[in-house]
Amino acid sequence: MLTIKNLKASYNGLQILKDINLNLEKGQVLSIIGESGTGKTTLGRAVMGLLEGSCTGEILFKGKNLLTCPEEELRRIRGREIAMVFQNVEDGLHPLYSIIYQVMEAVLVHGLKDKKAAEERACEVLELVGLDNRRFLAYPHQLSGGEKQRALIALAVVNNPDILILDEPTASLDALTKAEIIAVLKRFTRETAFLVITHDISTAADLSTHMAVLYGGRIVEQGATGDVLAGPRHPYTRGLLRSYPNMSTTKDLQGIPGRMSHHVEGCPFHPRCTQRIQICAAEAPLPVVEGNRLIACHRGGIVPLLEVRCSKSFGPLKVLQDVECVLHEGETLALIGESGSGKTTLAKTIMGLLKADEEEIRLEGKKVTRRTIDFYQRVQMIFQNPGESISHRMNVLQAVKEPLDIHKTGNEEEKLERVRQVLNEVELPGDDDFLKKYPHHLSGGEAQRVAIARALVLNPKILIADESTSALDASVQAKILKLMMNLQEKRGLSILFITHDLALARKISDRLAVLLKGRIVEEGPTSEIIYHPLHPYTRALLDYAPLLEDRSVRPAGSRWARRACDNSLQAAPGLKRPPSATSKGCSYAHRCLAVKERCFEEKPELIACSPRKVACFYPQVD
Amino acid sequence: MHVNYWREVHTSGPGRIGLGLLLLVAIAAVLAPLLTSYQPAAYTGAPFMAPSAQHWLGTNDVGQDIWTRLLYGARTSLAVGGGVALLSLCLSVMVGCSSALLGGLYDRLMMRLVDALIVIPPVIVAILAAAYLRPNTVLLIVLLSLFLWPGGARVVRAQTLSLKERMPVYAARTFGAGQLHLLFNHIIPDLGPILIALMIQDARRAVFMEAGLSFLGICDPTVVSWGKMMQHALKFVYLDVWRWWLLPTGFALSLTVMGFTFTGFALETALNPRLRKEAGHADN
Repeated sequence: MLTIKNLKASYNGLQILKDINLNLEKGQVLSIIGESGTGKTTLGRAVMGLLEGSCTGEILFKGKNLLTCPEEELRRIRGREIAMVFQNVEDGLHPLYSIIYQVMEAVLVHGLKDKKAAEERACEVLELVGLDNRRFLAYPHQLSGGEKQRALIALAVVNNPDILILDEPTASLDALTKAEIIAVLKRFTRETAFLVITHDISTAADLSTHMAVLYGGRIVEQGATGDVLAGPRHPYTRGLLRSYPNMSTTKDLQGIPGRMSHHVEGCPFHPRCTQRIQICAAEAPLPVVEGNRLIACHRGGIVPLLEVRCSKSFGPLKVLQDVECVLHEGETLALIGESGSGKTTLAKTIMGLLKADEEEIRLEGKKVTRRTIDFYQRVQMIFQNPGESISHRMNVLQAVKEPLDIHKTGNEEEKLERVRQVLNEVELPGDDDFLKKYPHHLSGGEAQRVAIARALVLNPKILIADESTSALDASVQAKILKLMMNLQEKRGLSILFITHDLALARKISDRLAVLLKGRIVEEGPTSEIIYHPLHPYTRALLDYAPLLEDRSVRPAGSRWARRACDNSLQAAPGLKRPPSATSKGCSYAHRCLAVKERCFEEKPELIACSPRKVACFYPQVD
Repeated sequence: MHVNYWREVHTSGPGRIGLGLLLLVAIAAVLAPLLTSYQPAAYTGAPFMAPSAQHWLGTNDVGQDIWTRLLYGARTSLAVGGGVALLSLCLSVMVGCSSALLGGLYDRLMMRLVDALIVIPPVIVAILAAAYLRPNTVLLIVLLSLFLWPGGARVVRAQTLSLKERMPVYAARTFGAGQLHLLFNHIIPDLGPILIALMIQDARRAVFMEAGLSFLGICDPTVVSWGKMMQHALKFVYLDVWRWWLLPTGFALSLTVMGFTFTGFALETALNPRLRKEAGHADN
């Protein structure tokens, strides 16, 4: 219905929109999201033909190019076939006319001569948008923000437009009003195609079927709303979602480093992107279809940095059985499991400290056959006990400098400078006094920071943290984790966080993998797994995750907790369990509450159950 | 967590005695020209002179000053002790560390070699070697080192096996460190006290063996040696000279060996946490 081709728009020579290509069909709700200043409103105004700057390209509406249309024609289309709800509810209404009069006027302007009929239509629409009929005659200043928004929507939809452009329809509304407005808007989605321009991702998530992410005047990612939100593929989209407070994701808020600028050559996001390469600054990436998504990124979206598949056994004991995991750029993958599940073995195997029986490790897509010095420059590890991992013969300077010595980077002065810089980065003093301290002079938190500094001094992209905060008390742990999250935000550090603490993983990880007896039994986005655990083992872990209340009187508010209290998870009566895990069958069968015969006979495979994977014959679906 | 080995050793009784004795012998060896006015090989007077102001310990069968020979003999003993200690330690560290770090077939071969060498009786082989090669001090040092390194290599290997599993070594490996870096920056510094203990033990045995071999006549004929002196003196036990010829020499040898033994004992006490007195390092 509406097709935008190569749309460019500029004000006073400053190009705001660069090559926008969009397509809007009837029944579609397309949301344009992005931070302020990315050109969202400009795009809406350009479609309406209300842009003060200059526009090139094509905006085809029912075959007509709106950009070359005469003003006369545009006026007919505007409001009748394409309507817009403007951003600011305060300015959209005329203060001297009553609401119903303004809605009537919109009908009359577009050809209806009969005032009576116009009034009827206005009443009908105002009712449809849920405005109290006693308020029809009110003046704008007498209405609340929500009522004004309803009035504005009525004004826009009264002529049954084919396309409705909504510019921040829910900005500055409280949550309840917002929900009502969205419900009102949803009544029109069948007849009308929507273009929703918003920075409020929850509105977009609720209202739209498709989503386009706008940045620096370019669309960087586009796809079905659910897909985009569940698995953002462009670094900017991910940053946007991470910085948006909501009840679905559990990870702590993270921002996007830097500020947006329109004077950027190449990819508009590259100055803020943590995975940029040389070409990003030179050329703007063309949008390409990748799976179910349209992505404009030279690297094809967020790159998988580390892909691991390995098996390892100590004698007859299979510690890791075909464990497979992928760590993307700038994300935290938490590896959860009880002690003895093979977490540390996995970390050590990845680092090459243990030799795997079978392994396939890819670093940035390239297969790793030998752990060369370059591998260690990219991948670093933080050990469990910081005090132990730093040689007691080395002072802080020597310890942090050691990786630089091994990699022979620069002369002594440069190394010292780098050491001070990295200590500063982990919020430790870089003065001579501190540099001369030995590990036993440091507190646990300080020692851990030194260990982190040492891991960061080579500027790695991947950090493997093996229970690296479990020896610390909570307040120190919190600081260290904040630090790691800040580093992730600043330089796109990918973290493989190995822990047994689910509560911790919930706050810092993007994805979660649950390891049981050397196998991954469940893997997926952290919030998904926390809110809807599928594997009984995950549920058990969640049941015993730290709480700040008496476990016996848990509130009904937490979903998984309630399930543990009612006895819905019951093994079939008369089922004989083997006393311990057998080699065949599910390794959780002997402890599982939802176990059935089959679980003792066959090993469940890890099967995709979008957007995650689970290895269970009888996943606990709500 | 840091044990100050030096402090542990020099504050303990045996340690003080041992270090004192070693210091004494070392001073005697170094300051020999100042402590006597004769040359060790010079004929200074009549044979078999009793101790006097000119000849503190009298003279031997050819009129050489025994005190002078005793002082210069200390030089030989310490040189052989020190040389053997260093050389055999180098061999021990090279073989022990490389075996532990590389492992595999190399490790097994090396350890079997060590086993084989340990069972070879040193004196017999030394006599045999001397029969083929003209005995001199350097040869003696090399020979004794070849006999002494295997024991040390075992100790070093065992310790390295444990050290290489330590966290800092793992950490260094994750920085991409090679074996040499690990060896020189992590393992050898941590081996330090053990290496010193090994050296002292090797030196003690070397001093003893040198004396024994020269007693048997396997020595550089131009060099003064306590073992040779004792062997000479023993030929004249029917005279009174043994009291100032044989006795002081044996005494000097005993003191040197005791010095090494006591020092080694003190160090071992400090190294072995089970032997270490709790009070000794409580304030550390």
